[in-house]
Amino acid sequence: MDYKRDIPLAITFLVGVIAIGDYYTGIQAVTDTFNIIKNWGIVLQGFALGLGAVNLFRVHGKRISARKEGTDWIFSVVLLVMLAVHVVIGLITGQYEQGETYNWLYNSIYLPISSTMYSSLAFYMAYGAYKVLRARNFDAALLFITAVLVIIGNTPMFPAIYPGFFHMREWIFGPIVSGAYRGVRIGIGIGAVVLGIKTLIGMETGYLGRR
Amino acid sequence: MVTMDPQIWLAAFFTIAATSYAFRDNAVFKFAEYTFIGVAAAHQIVMGVKNIRDYGWTKIMEGQIIYVVVFVLGIMLYARFHRDYYWMYRFPIAFLVGNGVGISIRAAIHSDFIVQVSETARTPLIAGDAMGTINAIITFVGAVTAIFHFIFTQEKLHVGAVGWIPKIGRWMMLLAFGASFGNTVMSRFGMYQGRVVFLLREWLQVI
Amino acid sequence: MSIWEKLTSLPREIVMTLVMLSIIVPALNPLGLPLMTGQMSQDWYDTIDALPADSVVLFDVGYGSGGYPSLGPGNIAAFHQMFDKDLKIVIMATSLEGTLMYPLVMAGVNPEGNYGAVYGEDYVFIGYIAGTQTAMAGVLGDLHDLVTNDYQGNPISGMPILDNVGGADDIDLVAYVTTSGDIAEGWVYQAYSQYNMAVVGGTLSMMTTSIKPYYDSGQLLGIMDGIKGAADLEFLTGHPGDAIVSSDILTFSQTLVLIFIAVGNISWFMTRKGGSS
Repeated sequence: MDYKRDIPLAITFLVGVIAIGDYYTGIQAVTDTFNIIKNWGIVLQGFALGLGAVNLFRVHGKRISARKEGTDWIFSVVLLVMLAVHVVIGLITGQYEQGETYNWLYNSIYLPISSTMYSSLAFYMAYGAYKVLRARNFDAALLFITAVLVIIGNTPMFPAIYPGFFHMREWIFGPIVSGAYRGVRIGIGIGAVVLGIKTLIGMETGYLGRR
Repeated sequence: MVTMDPQIWLAAFFTIAATSYAFRDNAVFKFAEYTFIGVAAAHQIVMGVKNIRDYGWTKIMEGQIIYVVVFVLGIMLYARFHRDYYWMYRFPIAFLVGNGVGISIRAAIHSDFIVQVSETARTPLIAGDAMGTINAIITFVGAVTAIFHFIFTQEKLHVGAVGWIPKIGRWMMLLAFGASFGNTVMSRFGMYQGRVVFLLREWLQVI
Repeated sequence: MSIWEKLTSLPREIVMTLVMLSIIVPALNPLGLPLMTGQMSQDWYDTIDALPADSVVLFDVGYGSGGYPSLGPGNIAAFHQMFDKDLKIVIMATSLEGTLMYPLVMAGVNPEGNYGAVYGEDYVFIGYIAGTQTAMAGVLGDLHDLVTNDYQGNPISGMPILDNVGGADDIDLVAYVTTSGDIAEGWVYQAYSQYNMAVVGGTLSMMTTSIKPYYDSGQLLGIMDGIKGAADLEFLTGHPGDAIVSSDILTFSQTLVLIFIAVGNISWFMTRKGGSS
């Protein structure tokens, strides 16, 4: 027995079965055990949140110590400095993200960059619509038709001129989206359940990493 | 009158820096990008520590010493960065994966499969009016043919006369994806307009 | 180069500048176009409207800075409606940034000033809980076993609003606003599937199609469909805000996208026709 693989697989199975048992059996002992597992899971998730930062230190620390031409190592310095400053400010006061300084920094740095980066895809959508969105064949035309009709329905000017555009948009979201996405959702559900079962019984072991 | 608030100026700088990539890659954008990654990771650490304190440490302080085991498991997560002790990481991750998988698949069977199939089966195809009937038929056909499209293990389903069923499913999904694209355009522009309104209202104070 | 080829060869900088202008110009000169309310938003509004006073709503602030421009206004409008109806709101965050969105939203709602609401009696914020569906299951299973303090570290025992709220059985409605598919599905799984609870969900417009099957099957009683849904809620609740302002901006920017699509496709067809002849 390879205890370094088999015991984790057993843990996955046991914990998963208890979670499923809580839902399907209603046995109080199982529910009580699952409550403990839930609470433990929340604390563990808290520990897991730091993994990304540790990896960043490793990767960018190596880049800084190598200082190779063309690797933007100076920006790695920026990254680690910002990381360290924010962690210190967040933890030192004991107020975590509720601290005044942390909040100030969040509203000045994180919020504007995050919301801008998330939304600047709008430019690429417009550019993509200009360069690439073509009704080249029947399949592309189908996608094109509903995309255009929904954009027209979503643009307040057109329904203001003719309300039928909005009703057309609502209708597309009715039977067409409902029907197709119901099929997609069933497919997703089956796929997720099959993958979950394979994970629990040890057929999917990717999460264990390398040997 | 442009604001004198340094917080707004800093936010405006980073907004413009992040937008600049749309025009071309540049050092100012890279500065904003790397800053963001660092700050995002820092925020995760801060919230992680707070989470551990609120849901782990307080339990130990209340006398539930068993939570020390959870702390040990949590620290073992960081063994993944060690070449020799990497395997220790598997124990807590197995716990998290088992928990996550168990919690989600137990309900996915119900919500994503049973309820969806039963709704498809029990919705009458003949409604009170012509439009309702057409809508019900389109919904039913869309759902059933889309499911058929995903049956890849039976090649015979995709050829011949029967092959029309998954083909219609693909067409229905393309129509639906077009609607999704249309909504995505609105979504992205809706997000970006918030930043522009911020620049005009709070930074430049012209609206 | 023919006129059609020239039309499809505009430099990227010009296209991006036009996009920028399509957002700036209407922001400076709003048109005030009328809104048409969608059925999903109407159902969200009606579900909350049907709740009697003192009903308990569990509200998840499941989004961050990326979603704030779209979902923040809708969150504010939803809270206006809930405070107006004297509902008891237990607010939590399954998103890492939810605790930082909360003060921004509350600044827009001002529950104490506008509604005479009292923290701890009429609403409470229990803060961020890691684990997404684990957190949801934990809160709905046994809130007091999981949560000891609110987001500022004040003990929740003795807070009147939570005296009679132990878990799912004591909650009348789950409402969430999120940019995450995990959270959107998670509440359906954990609240509806496990406890058959009433759930309403708000997501970005691009996610609406994927959660629509839940709405069609009654697992979600209403959907706040991104910025459109947020504008609808602002209109329905009588609290106009940034989402309604955005409607004019969206008019220009989306019309520009339609022009791009039209120009691109007409040029493509004309150059293909020219090429084949």
